Amino acid sequence: MSFLSFEFALFVGLALLIFYLAPPRSRPCLLLVFSYVFYLSWSPVHALLLAAVSGGVYLAGLSIAKCGSEKGKFARMTLGVAMLLVLLFAFKSAVWFSRMFHADPAMSIIVPLGLSYYVFKMVGYLMDVYWETLPAQNNFVTLALYGAFFPQIVSGPVQRAGDFFGQIGKLQNPDPGEFAAGLRRILFGLFKKIVIADYLAAPVASVHADPSRFSSLELLFGAYCFAIELYADFSGITDIAIGIGQLFGIKGPENFDLPYYSPNIQMFWRRWHMSLTSWLTDYLFTPLRMSLRTLGSAGLYLAVVLNFIAIGLWHGLTWVFFFFGLLNGIYMVVSVMTLKQRNRFFQARPALAQIRAITGPLITFHLMVFAMIFFRSETLSSAFKYVGSMVPGWGNRSVTFGRFDQALLGVAFRPLMLCFIAFFASEAVTWAARRQICVDWFFTMPVFFRRALYCALAATVLLFFKDSLTFIYARF
Amino acid sequence: MTHAEIHQKLTPIFRDVFDDPAIEIKDTMTAKDVPGWDSLTYVNLIVAVEKAFAVSFTTKEVKSLVNVGALIELLAKRTA
Repeated sequence: MSFLSFEFALFVGLALLIFYLAPPRSRPCLLLVFSYVFYLSWSPVHALLLAAVSGGVYLAGLSIAKCGSEKGKFARMTLGVAMLLVLLFAFKSAVWFSRMFHADPAMSIIVPLGLSYYVFKMVGYLMDVYWETLPAQNNFVTLALYGAFFPQIVSGPVQRAGDFFGQIGKLQNPDPGEFAAGLRRILFGLFKKIVIADYLAAPVASVHADPSRFSSLELLFGAYCFAIELYADFSGITDIAIGIGQLFGIKGPENFDLPYYSPNIQMFWRRWHMSLTSWLTDYLFTPLRMSLRTLGSAGLYLAVVLNFIAIGLWHGLTWVFFFFGLLNGIYMVVSVMTLKQRNRFFQARPALAQIRAITGPLITFHLMVFAMIFFRSETLSSAFKYVGSMVPGWGNRSVTFGRFDQALLGVAFRPLMLCFIAFFASEAVTWAARRQICVDWFFTMPVFFRRALYCALAATVLLFFKDSLTFIYARF
Repeated sequence: MTHAEIHQKLTPIFRDVFDDPAIEIKDTMTAKDVPGWDSLTYVNLIVAVEKAFAVSFTTKEVKSLVNVGALIELLAKRTA
């Protein structure tokens, strides 16, 4: 049952009806049942695995909390975390092996839906219990629901256990304002995914299929398109996930904060896939940095690079994701090494600081556009072929540098412009909403205008809707 | 060491790590109150504090510090 199907919409509608007709005390149990119904629609066997993981983590959490000695607590936490990571690694590496040895696709191993997300959630929970920043969860339903909560299982966000547990005890009747906000958020997410991301998917697929057929300009255009596609796709599903959560009275963490306008790489990674990067900062980077602190600056740089390689490999055990992580680790190390000096240089030259305000985001954006060529490529050699083909005069290609063949790219000028306008409009809305600009003005507009706007957005979504749509981040 | 002595010794460390000579530390101060306080500079701060006070913290202790006051309390225990 895909998020982008009418049967899923029907499922959410029915679930909401039952959820709010039922007494508040039974709502966590109902949410768990709904989550497993959703998961069973994907794979009954993998649902058993999810249940087994939840049971194991529940017992491990209680065991850590009850253990009297520090060494015992550490051993229990380490064992629990190691078992979870082995499970994640086993599935990811099995996929890698089956691809490597060209196994029959029908026999290839499928990673359980949301495995990367629920394993990370559970690892975070066990470490929180060990660090005593969170008490062990006594209620099995709450813990199992934390792992299985269906709006977040497909593509996150990776909500922290404490934040989630705190909301489960307060599931009351719907607040009309929150409910309406949830519906708006879902509509906004659908718009970004279906109208923006899916339109740009066609030219991106074309240029990556065979880069040698395209000019430098077309490949550059393809790289920009993928950066926008990935962002619209992933932030779109995050909006849908957060919106559905809000309908059930659970607020999920934000995953994006206008990342493409970040002044430097450090800020980019604080504004892109925020729930995962902040998770890795707390549960991987900080312990790693602490254990490497005797190495001085070298320890810091090593911890940064290893952290980014982990971010890359979280997407899959492939060389392109390894390189994507490594490249970002190098960006980050260079940025960390020079940030203090850069800040001092520009503080002493206020006139240049204004130029930096423009060039900083531009450079950061282009560094990420470059890194995302690797993210999108199937293999490292195809990524380098793409990058090489962008260089004018590379190889014996007869394609001119500045050619822009719309038919070859699979785009048409007018819809493309409308797609870009839709993207910048969606960014402006996000910017205004986050900073509470024009929000009061919008809600004092006559109801008719607002409803007409929502209807227009919904009609556009339905117009562009295709039944076979999938999300990029659902496969991680 | 007393609370006041630790406070006095911590101030120049904060100023150096966060590259801000005007920082005045308070017990209630957290990452949100200091520009540039992120995961990178936080561990740099811990390393500098460990060196200055000749102590060593575990990751668990570092994770449990909710504000500067908690750090001062931990240092007071360690240097008592």
